[in-house]
Amino acid sequence: MTTAEPAMLVEVKAVSKRFTPQLSLGDRLAALLGSPVETRTVHAVDRVSFGLEQGEVLGLVGESGCGKSTLGRVIAGIHPPSEGRASIAGETVMGDGRTPLKRTTRIQMVFQDPFASLDPRVRIGETISEGPLAHGLVSRSDAPAYVARWLTAVGLPVEAAERFPHQFSGGQRQRVAIARALAMQPDVLVCDEPVASLDVSIQAQIINLFLKLRRDLGLTMLFISHDLGVVRHLCDRVAIMYLGRIVEIGPAAEIFAAPRHPYTRALLDSVPKLVTGSDELVTFKPIQGELPSPLSPPPGCHFHQRCPRAEARCRSDAPQLAGGADDGTGHRVSCHFPLAGEA
Amino acid sequence: MSPVLLDVNGLTTRFATRAGSLHAVEDVSFTVAEGEIIGLVGESGSGKSVTGFSILGLIDPPGRIVAGSVKLNGRELVGLSHAALRSMRGREIAMVFQDPSATLNPVLTIETQMRLAIAAHENLGDAAARARCIEVLGAVGIPDAARRIEAYPHQFSGGMRQRVAIAIALLNRPKLIICDEPTTALDVSIQAQILTEMKSLAARLLVMYAGRLIEAGPIAEVLRQPRHPYTRGLLGSLPGIARPGQDLVQIPGAMPSLIDLPQGCAFQPRCGFADALCATMPALNGEGARSFRCHHPLAAESAP
Repeated sequence: MTTAEPAMLVEVKAVSKRFTPQLSLGDRLAALLGSPVETRTVHAVDRVSFGLEQGEVLGLVGESGCGKSTLGRVIAGIHPPSEGRASIAGETVMGDGRTPLKRTTRIQMVFQDPFASLDPRVRIGETISEGPLAHGLVSRSDAPAYVARWLTAVGLPVEAAERFPHQFSGGQRQRVAIARALAMQPDVLVCDEPVASLDVSIQAQIINLFLKLRRDLGLTMLFISHDLGVVRHLCDRVAIMYLGRIVEIGPAAEIFAAPRHPYTRALLDSVPKLVTGSDELVTFKPIQGELPSPLSPPPGCHFHQRCPRAEARCRSDAPQLAGGADDGTGHRVSCHFPLAGEA
Repeated sequence: MSPVLLDVNGLTTRFATRAGSLHAVEDVSFTVAEGEIIGLVGESGSGKSVTGFSILGLIDPPGRIVAGSVKLNGRELVGLSHAALRSMRGREIAMVFQDPSATLNPVLTIETQMRLAIAAHENLGDAAARARCIEVLGAVGIPDAARRIEAYPHQFSGGMRQRVAIAIALLNRPKLIICDEPTTALDVSIQAQILTEMKSLAARLLVMYAGRLIEAGPIAEVLRQPRHPYTRGLLGSLPGIARPGQDLVQIPGAMPSLIDLPQGCAFQPRCGFADALCATMPALNGEGARSFRCHHPLAAESAP
């Protein structure tokens, strides 16, 4: 299927990321002499392709170990990809890792744990202004006003600039981390579980902040989360990852209403849901089994061992991410036997 | 109704800190009937875990239960000797914690750990003890239990480890199990498996805020029609319920410090209904099966 896709701000093309531990000297010598050496390669991301339009929020969902954080880091230019290419406005973010290409100021990242991602001995104002000063986005004399502007944008008092991270609660720290990322005036924000470590009432405040920043700044975001409720609330499109591969991608409303991959269906069904209007108050159905090890992913479709629809073909033949219905929404699924797509 | 198994009355647990006395649990009272499942919810720092620890007598200095009583089948647990508490723990009340990798001993096999838990209370022969372990592991859904019992914790996944922790809690057939966030550390698909195993969907809900119970009642009624503004704020904060893209009904501010609580109702600085009356502590008032601690409770509308 060829769809006339609009020009993508971020393009991820067949990106793979493998982690292979350094071999010991003995093993390297043995390998040189031709004896077989066992390498334990983790296939964190396996030939993933997708695009991100200007102003779009894409949710990247999956269980722990599925490779969503690694993919986010490849896109943000923290890890070089093992294969493939991530680009922003046509320029490669990072090549083979030996030649850093300075595009990463245009992509900023917000991490899960604001206790770990802020330097405890640096004042908030300095934390926020350090990057913009280094990259010449602001002069030293204008820095205080610049910091104040971003503190205000994330709902913190201007005086916060003088304080240290320990003087803030978890939610406020996450606001600081967001202000630091935004102060670089990035084209794209990659958020890796930015609300996962926060309490429910604080989580709601940060989600509302993201909604507001989206409206005010037209941010383009890759929002990585395991929380389906948060993703559904915040994202235009959703990509579901399983063991390093995207198994389904499409408009959020469509995926949540009518998932086509059996894993997406099972994931949605496994979340206990509050049904306030009925007598059956909470409903959920667990998925059988567990995520296989990324050290030795199963052949064929990675999900076949846990899939109720799996047949012989699924055990040998890896399905491609393909458009199911020609409806122009870009809803694609990687499954030999996709669901009909009804709620 | 089944007889009352656990009766917690006026439980107050405080921690002495350099900055002053930290009021972790204040005047908490509730009962659990035999066979009943109760859900205790609240954000971090609300006192849920300390309530659980207090029931088991697991509060160490500088913490102390300063008032109140905890009765199990009519027997007072507060003030029991260490030896008496030890013989009670595991046999009458067991606990499952949040992080299974921290609760299991990494250098002992599952069998050794389970046998230790049995030996603490009962003198079973080798074969009988092993058989009990395998039976319980099978009951919590560990496949091939007879072989897996010889494995070490690191050979299990997170979900399987939590099953082992639950199995250990069940070993001595306790009357009451306290589960402290048993699924928080697990992935959603594994969470659902554990919840199914435990059939732990509560019938009655207790909501805590800053150390106090602020609302209680049958779970369906509390969720459909919260009476305390905090409970409603908490429900409004859940993205799963709101329309996608709409601002969530957020609660402004954050939980106060437990060392320096506001006068009166601890929620008043964040509450849209607060007025001068709220500077006095509201009592936990009952209305049928419901109770709530608020001077300005939300109206009990007729069912939709």
